Amino acid sequence: MSPAFGSFPVGADYAALLPMAVVACTPLVILFADLFLTGGGNLRRGVAVGIAIVGLVIAGVIEAGQYPHDYAAFGGAFIEGGFSIVFSEIVIVATVATLLLSAGIGRTDQVAGTTALLLWSASGAMLMSGAANLMTVFLGLELLSLGLYCLCAISARSTAREAALKYLILSSMASGFLLYGSALLFGATGSVAFAALAAAPLTPLFALGAGLFLVGIAFKLSLVPFHAWTPDVYEGAPLPVTAFMSVVTKAGTLAVFARFAYAALPPDRASAILIPIWVAAALSMLIGNLAALAQTDMKRLLAYSGIAQVGYIVAAFAGQTTLGLRYALLYLAGYTFMNLGAFAVVELMSRDGDAVVGIPRFAGLAYRRPWLAAAMTLFLIGLAGLPPTIGFTGKILILAVTTGAGYAWLAGVLIVGTAISAYVYFKIVRAMFVHADPAHVRDERSRNPLPWLAVAVCAVLTFALGVFPLTPSNILPLVK
Amino acid sequence: MIVSALVLVPILFGLALYAVPRRAAGIAKGASAVLAALVFALAALEPQAPDATVRWLSRPFAAAFHLGFGPISFWLVLLLALVTFSALLVVRGSRMREIAAQLLVLQGAMNGLFLAKDVLLFALFWDLMLLPVFLVLVAGGTHGRTAWKYLLYNLVGGLALLLATAAFGVLAGTTDVIGNPAARVGIGATWGAWIFAGFAFAFLIKTPVFPFHTWMPETYADLPPPVVAVVSAVQSKAGLYGFLAIGVPFLGPEMAQARPLMFVLGLSALLYGAFVALAERDAKRVVAYSSLSHLGLILLAVFSGSSLAYAGALVYIIAHGLFSAALFIVLGAVEQREETRDLLRLGGLGARNPQLAGALMLAALAALGLPGLAGFAGEILILTGLYRAGYGWPAVIALLPIVLAAAYMLRVFQSIMNGPEHPDLPQRRDLTWLEGLAVAPLVAAFVWLGIDPASVVAAMVAGGAHVAGVR
Repeated sequence: MSPAFGSFPVGADYAALLPMAVVACTPLVILFADLFLTGGGNLRRGVAVGIAIVGLVIAGVIEAGQYPHDYAAFGGAFIEGGFSIVFSEIVIVATVATLLLSAGIGRTDQVAGTTALLLWSASGAMLMSGAANLMTVFLGLELLSLGLYCLCAISARSTAREAALKYLILSSMASGFLLYGSALLFGATGSVAFAALAAAPLTPLFALGAGLFLVGIAFKLSLVPFHAWTPDVYEGAPLPVTAFMSVVTKAGTLAVFARFAYAALPPDRASAILIPIWVAAALSMLIGNLAALAQTDMKRLLAYSGIAQVGYIVAAFAGQTTLGLRYALLYLAGYTFMNLGAFAVVELMSRDGDAVVGIPRFAGLAYRRPWLAAAMTLFLIGLAGLPPTIGFTGKILILAVTTGAGYAWLAGVLIVGTAISAYVYFKIVRAMFVHADPAHVRDERSRNPLPWLAVAVCAVLTFALGVFPLTPSNILPLVK
Repeated sequence: MIVSALVLVPILFGLALYAVPRRAAGIAKGASAVLAALVFALAALEPQAPDATVRWLSRPFAAAFHLGFGPISFWLVLLLALVTFSALLVVRGSRMREIAAQLLVLQGAMNGLFLAKDVLLFALFWDLMLLPVFLVLVAGGTHGRTAWKYLLYNLVGGLALLLATAAFGVLAGTTDVIGNPAARVGIGATWGAWIFAGFAFAFLIKTPVFPFHTWMPETYADLPPPVVAVVSAVQSKAGLYGFLAIGVPFLGPEMAQARPLMFVLGLSALLYGAFVALAERDAKRVVAYSSLSHLGLILLAVFSGSSLAYAGALVYIIAHGLFSAALFIVLGAVEQREETRDLLRLGGLGARNPQLAGALMLAALAALGLPGLAGFAGEILILTGLYRAGYGWPAVIALLPIVLAAAYMLRVFQSIMNGPEHPDLPQRRDLTWLEGLAVAPLVAAFVWLGIDPASVVAAMVAGGAHVAGVR
């Protein structure tokens, strides 16, 4: 009998969920406060975004305060520990950055609603970061996705509706795979807990269930060959939503994948079951970067680059080493800052109602807006894996752990993918430093200063993490 | 402290130059030149400066931000400071501020490369030093292709270096080993070959060595004269330095195994570079191909395993740095006056520009290996070392390009300075005092090195020659 059914939840169980609960309840405050504000003033935006940021910061502080604590809440359904806390913090930081990036998504009368949806999505990702049984995983995943379906459709453009529908259908399909896989795993083992899966014998039913579960995960991570939805959805969604998806969806899903790979599959059988995932990661690095070569729209380019970047992170898990887990977390944090920083720069360069920011828009940016160009250069060389950024340090660490774990071929593919990606990212760097004819480029300036804050914070952290690659030492155990 | 300053101060100063208003670019340039001179003085006065170490990584291998002087790096830092100083003095044009800034960033990054005592830190600066050159090419290049070629060639090399460094770190447990004779790096034969291949690939592209050289002539032709002086004089030595600092001490057996292949590559570069230099019309490309030829000779020395040839390699690395910087600066002055580098169109400049002609003559004579100047000192040491180590035929073959060097260098001089003047070319002035000030220290240095190479060799040997692999 699983302890989940044998004991009543106690205070500590709820305390473990407290940060997530704070994030999930803040929207209620936002919606309530919004009732008393009418009209389209900046105050209304400011209140919604302000409350959201305060709620997130409180959640982040509580979460950080729990750091050394290691506790299996609700009979092992939700594991609070270094691992879940680091992921949750990444989600919180990314959500704050998203809010700064946009100062609220959509029209002013929509902002309270969109901010609420964003926070609910974030709480879903936080639930996923600690989820240690199949039901909690599904709950978190759906909570994450439901908000995003609406957010993708928030813009009035027709591409937005197309993107939202595409996302709804394909993401539901992925959830279906995941759910069916979960059901088969339950059928094979008689339990939904990861700890019980790890102890079960490897039957064909188990393998099939694990395979379907992993297909669902690969869909959500947009690993090749399950990546085709990503560029279209990223292109159609509002820019802050794209930025959010590119980090938070991936962080939440990576947390589930890592816990599943490390804790639900013991090493002797995992190495066989996970081989397709390593192949998918290798393909993502190659095809993601190759496809990014042809893109001229920044959102599509960053979508493909994100596919490749997730490939690098997944590669770190190869061989299921503890170090690999730590450095995957490190690279994920670095990717968060580099990617959100790049999105913030794109946001600063887009005009109101402007759907497409193409590479030509960057022509001569270094001479018109040197600070912005400097920050963007830092983010891009970081994504390309050049120093002095976390992109460089993170990549060498991933190379070292994959080589050390006996997956030298994966390290080799990573290097080839990085070489291709250099052209992708330096295309933009080059555009920024080419002397452009000022007559052809309109100097667009966003009225909103908040994205600057996001840019500055991301730039500092991109550099600082590269010099001081801090990783949490206390991230195990993943299940109890 | 001092060694960190040698790296960080130029980079930060260079970045700060972007905050200087464009109309004050002249002041920015002057301040940069003063900074380069100060870096030279600091390095020259404090060769015993203690190392600076900050821990960086601990697992899966240890790495540190570890900077310190070594017997070779001391001279390379001095060479770099001197060449940067000269280059900064001749920066001109509307992009003066940007080029001065990039030159300083480049100086800081390359100081980091030479002072790095950690292989991972070496790899970091290896990648970092690409960026300023790429940005100069992007902003001012006439062909977009050149910048891409430079970046992609060198970055692919850099990635191979990175992968090799990761494998090196995992196997050795630490990368904090450069210049540390006590470090026992246990790399098995199976992995050693792969790791060496990764390092060698990066080093050969950077040097460059035939057949990885195709990025080089275009890059050299497209870069502004001050930047090409630094790239040709110092950046091209990064790969050779890498072989000496990492290859010789830690991958000795692999170096010995690769010797036949490297001899073939080095001799091919020697011959190919010399023949192309004979045929080129573009003065800058002649010097670019002559570099290919000269660096092939140094590659032979690096792989010879002979202490005499190593000493020659060190002398020739510095000598080549000095005379190639002088050549590119003088050719830059010629191009600025005549608006062409075409040897068939130029001519007769010497009559009214005696100082310019004198400077070009000295640099060309040093390049062709005239006894008494630095080029000869390096060449004779390398050739003697090769011969004594039992590589008679390579030494004999290597003699031919040295004879050809006289032909193409004198051809450059003749075509530019002698003969009838072309009436359609613009009016000429002789060297300005600033250009004179730029060239004079380089000339003085290669004359001194030509007369007294023993002092440099002795200082290197005294400074811990085991690091250089001198046995």
